[in-house]
Amino acid sequence: MVQERRILYEHLDVPDINTFDVFRQYDGYKHFEMTIKEYKPEEICDMVMQSGLKGRGGAGFSTGLKWSFVPRDIEPRYLCCNADESEPGTFSNRYVLEKNPHLLIEGILICCYAMGINTAYIYIRGEFTLGKRMLDAALNEAYQHGYLGKNILGSGFDLDVYSHPGAGAYICGEETGLIESLEGKRGQPRVKPPFPAVEGLFHKPTVVQNVETLCNLPFLMGRGVEWYTSIGRTYGDTRFNPPQSDPNTGTKLYCISGDVNKPGVYELDLGLTAEELIEVAGGVKGERVKAVIPGGSSAPILTHYELECRLDFTSLTLWKSMLGSGGIIVMNETRNIVDCLLNIMKFYAHESCGQCTPCRWGTPWVRDIVQRIVDGEGRQTTIQRPKFGITASGRWGDTGEMEEVYEDLDLLESVANNIANVDTMTWNTICVFGIAVSWPAVSYLRKFRPEFEAAIRDGELVTLPIEEATVPPEENYAYQQRIVPGLFEP
Amino acid sequence: MAFIKLNDLEVEVEDGTNIIEAARQHGIEVPHYCYHPGLTRPANCRMCLVEPHVFFPPAGKVVPDRQLATGCTTTVRTAPPDRKLDGQYDFIVRTDSQRVKKAREDILEFLLVHHPLDCPVCDQAGECDLQDFSFNHGSGKSRYIEVKNVPPKKDLGPDVLLYSTRCIVCTRCIRFCDEVAGTGELGLIHRGSHDEIDIPRDHDDNPLRLLDNKLAGNVVDICPVGALTSKDFLFKSRPWFMKQVNSVCPGCSVGCNITVDYKEDGLYRIKPRFHEDINQHWMCDDGRLGYHYVNSEDRLKIPMKRVDGEFVPTSWADALNLIVDKFSETDPESIVVIGSAQGTNEENYLLGKLAREVLKTESIGLFGREPGEEHKFPQFTIDADKNPNTRGALDMLKLGDDASLTGDALWSGVADAKVVYLVSGAPEGPIGKTAEQALEAVDFLVVQDIFESDVAQLADVVLPGVTFAEKDGSFTNAKGWVQRIHRAVDPPGEARVDWEIIQQLAKRLGGEMDYHFAGEIALEIAENVPDYQDATHQKIGDGGVKLDSEDSR
Repeated sequence: MVQERRILYEHLDVPDINTFDVFRQYDGYKHFEMTIKEYKPEEICDMVMQSGLKGRGGAGFSTGLKWSFVPRDIEPRYLCCNADESEPGTFSNRYVLEKNPHLLIEGILICCYAMGINTAYIYIRGEFTLGKRMLDAALNEAYQHGYLGKNILGSGFDLDVYSHPGAGAYICGEETGLIESLEGKRGQPRVKPPFPAVEGLFHKPTVVQNVETLCNLPFLMGRGVEWYTSIGRTYGDTRFNPPQSDPNTGTKLYCISGDVNKPGVYELDLGLTAEELIEVAGGVKGERVKAVIPGGSSAPILTHYELECRLDFTSLTLWKSMLGSGGIIVMNETRNIVDCLLNIMKFYAHESCGQCTPCRWGTPWVRDIVQRIVDGEGRQTTIQRPKFGITASGRWGDTGEMEEVYEDLDLLESVANNIANVDTMTWNTICVFGIAVSWPAVSYLRKFRPEFEAAIRDGELVTLPIEEATVPPEENYAYQQRIVPGLFEP
Repeated sequence: MAFIKLNDLEVEVEDGTNIIEAARQHGIEVPHYCYHPGLTRPANCRMCLVEPHVFFPPAGKVVPDRQLATGCTTTVRTAPPDRKLDGQYDFIVRTDSQRVKKAREDILEFLLVHHPLDCPVCDQAGECDLQDFSFNHGSGKSRYIEVKNVPPKKDLGPDVLLYSTRCIVCTRCIRFCDEVAGTGELGLIHRGSHDEIDIPRDHDDNPLRLLDNKLAGNVVDICPVGALTSKDFLFKSRPWFMKQVNSVCPGCSVGCNITVDYKEDGLYRIKPRFHEDINQHWMCDDGRLGYHYVNSEDRLKIPMKRVDGEFVPTSWADALNLIVDKFSETDPESIVVIGSAQGTNEENYLLGKLAREVLKTESIGLFGREPGEEHKFPQFTIDADKNPNTRGALDMLKLGDDASLTGDALWSGVADAKVVYLVSGAPEGPIGKTAEQALEAVDFLVVQDIFESDVAQLADVVLPGVTFAEKDGSFTNAKGWVQRIHRAVDPPGEARVDWEIIQQLAKRLGGEMDYHFAGEIALEIAENVPDYQDATHQKIGDGGVKLDSEDSR
C-alpha cells in the first residue's frame, strides 16, 4: 500500500498554523532565513534547475528553465502567484491558502529573492473568500514581523506582496489572461510570443507560478537538491525531450474526487499509477472504475484498462493525456460518459473568453451537439469515412478501409479537432483553452464510442456495462499510440 | 533586409515586416479580418494562419513547424549567419500548404455558424471580406444545424448602426476608438459566443455615451463585414453599381486622400484612401459626410444678372459680355480679382494670369471659408483651415506671406475698387460684417460660386461654377503636398468648370488662352511657378508630389 508523503501539507492540520507564531514554531520562514544568508540568487536558480521542479499549474513546464528566460537587465520584474484555482476537480491550492498561507509567502520570498523581484502579486480566485481573508491576515503578520516590506531581515532585500481577487473567470487562470486581468483589463489571454517571462505584467518580465510550485521552494532549498530529486521519478530519453532526461521529481498534491470512498487532497510522490492512487483514496465507490479523468476536467479521459498509466507529467503525455492540475475524477459503472461530457462542455462553453474565433464559436457548437445527443435528438443518419487503426506497418493510421459512423459523432469529432487537433497536438486558438475543449470531447467520444452510439440509436441516454461501453484496447487511439515509459528509462 | 522563402518565391523584405505584408508586397494574399495595418494586432480572428518552417535538429533538416502561426504577428528578421535556414534564408514560410488551407476553411466555418447570411440585404455585400474569403477559401457547405445567436441591432451614434448578428468580433472598431481616436467609446460586453460590441449603457440599456466623435465613421470602413454600417449610406446603393474615382477631400487643408463613390445622379459616399504621410487610413466625419452639397437641388445652374435689384437668369454669352464691358470701361487700378482657397491650383493660376496679363491689375486677393476649430486625436489631426487649397492658391496667385490682399487687407482693398471679380466655390459659411460692407460698396461685383451664398447675394452677375467632384485639378495641402482631384459627375444645369469660365472671360477680353484640359495648365504651372516643377498631373498621380521648399515656408 502506497503511503502519503506529506511535505507541503506536513503541518496543514496543526491548529492555528495560519498564524505567524505557530508557523514559526514549526520552522516557518527558517528555510528562507537560511537561503537568504547562505545562497546567492544565481545559486538558487541553479538549484531549482537541477531539482527538475516542474510548474504545478498544469503545463508542467520546467520552473528553472522558465526562470532562465527572464532578462535580468530589465527593471522592474514581477512575480504573479497564480492562485486562481478554477479547474473543475482541483482544490489543492485552496487548502494552502486557507490553512497555511505563510508557507506560500515563504515560497514567494525565496522566488523573489532568487529572481531579484521586489513586487509580487497573488491573484486569488474571487470565490476563495476565506482563503483571501487568511492570506491577507498572514501578509499583514509577515509585514509586522519584518518578513515583507523594506530591507527584509536586514538583508537589503525589499519585497511587497499584494493579494488581488479575481472576478470569477476560468480563463484568468491562464497566465496571460491573469496578467491582463491584473492590469485591470478584460480577462483575455495574450498572443505568445512574447512570453510573460520576457514581457508580462505592465510589459515587464514576469514570472507566473502556481501556489503549489512556490510552496515547493522552501523545502527544496532547506533540504537540498539531492533530497528533492530522490522523490518521484526521472525518465530517460523520451521522444519529447531528447536527449536529456525528463525529471518528474517531488511530490504532487493530487485532488481525488468522484466515485472514491475517501475523496480529498493527497500528497504523493509523482509517478504513481492511477490504480495506486484510487487505492490510496479508499478504493472505488461502487463496483468498478469505468473511467478516470487524470488532470482536471480538461484532460483526456483514461479507460479502465489504462489505469496502469503513471500519473506524472511525462507519462501521461506519452499516453496522450495530461497531468494538468492534478485533479483526478474517478467514475464508476453508473456514470454515463455522454452525460459527463455534456457537463464538462457546458462549463467550457460558458467559460470561453470569446477572444478568438475557433473557441468562441466552436466551443458552444460542441456543447450543442452533445446536448442534442443527450436529449435523444442525435441524427440517425450515417456517413462513410476512412477508418483509422493499426495499419499493416504496425502503426496507427489510415487503414484504407471505410467505417460507417453517425453523422453527429463525426461532426462532434471534427468540430472539436478544428478547435485544437488531438492527433497532431496543435491548436488554432490563441491559448490552450482550445485544447481543454477538444481533448476531452475527442477522447470521450473515441474511447467510449459505443455509449455515444447507443444514445443516438435509442434516442435516449443508455449507460452500458463497462466492457460494452469502452472501446477495446486494440481500437483505442491513445492506447495504441502510447509509449510505455519503461522502455525509455535509463 | 531579410531574405525569405515565401511559398516558392525567394524574396527580400524589410526587417520587421509581418507575413501578411510581406506576402502582399509580392502579390500573395493572406486572408485576414482582425489585422489592420493601422492598428495593433490581437491575432484573434485566426484567419491569417500560415506555416513557418523551422530547423529540427533530430531530423537535421528544415521542416514545417508543428504549430501554424498567425501571419499578422509573425515578423521576419535577418537571422545571424549560423542560424540561416538551408544556409541562406532568414525565414521560410508557406501560405498555400494543405494545413493552411484546411485551417482557413475551418476558421471560416466557425465564422459563419452564427452569421445570418443575409447578404441580399446587407450593405457590405460586394465589398465584404466574409463573402470574398468564403468564396476563395471556404467550404461552400455548412454543417451547423443548431440555433443561431441573434444579438440585437444597435444604434451606436449619429452615423453608425451595428448589426450585431453579422459581427465577427474582430475588434477592429474597438481598437480604432482606443488607439487612433483615443476616445474609447466601444467595448465588448458579455463573454464567449455572446460577445457583442457595444457602447457604455446603464442598467436599463440606455446609452451612457454614444459613438460620437469626429472620426467615428472610420469604424464603418474598417469593419470587414456588414456589421457596422453608416446611416448616411444605408440602403442607398449596391456597391457594384457605383463608380469610383480617386480625389482629395475639400473639407480642410489636411487634404485627406479619398475615393468618391458616385453614380450618374450624384455622389453616394466618400471613403478615405491610404496615404502614408497625410491621412494614413483615416478621414474625419466632417469630410466624409460633407459631400451632400454637391448633390443639392439648390446649386447654381444658370448664370444670373441683377435687373432692378432682382436676379434674372440669363445666358452665358450675355453674362460674359456684361462683365467684359465693365472690365473694359474700368481703370485697371480699380479692378480687384479675388481667387478662391476652395479652387484648384489650375483655376487660381489662370485667374492670376487673367488679372496680371489681361486686366493689368495687381490687386489680387484670396477668399475662403472662415477658419474652424482644430481637432487633435492621438493619430489624426483635423486642421482649422477649412479650405483645401489655401497654400496652393497663394502660390498660384503669387501672394507671398505679406500679400496685400489677404485677410482684413482684402476687404479694405475691395472697398476702394469699382469692379470686383470674386471666385468663391465654398459650400457654406456666412461672411463677416467687414466683408459684407466692403462688397456692398463695390460698383460692379461678379461672383463665381456654386450656391446663392452670402457673397452671391451681393453680386451684380453670378456665374455658376462647380464643386471638387465636377472638375479636374490639383490642391496643395498645408504641408506642401500637391494632389489630384478627379471629375466624378457632370456639373448641374449650365454650370461650367471654373477654369473654363476664366478662360472664356480672358478670350473675350483679348487675352491669349487656349487650354483644353486642366493638365495643360498644370504643365504651364510646372514651368512658371517656383517649386512646382514636378507638379504635373502625370507626376502627381495618385500619390501626390511633395513641394521641395516645404521647410522654407
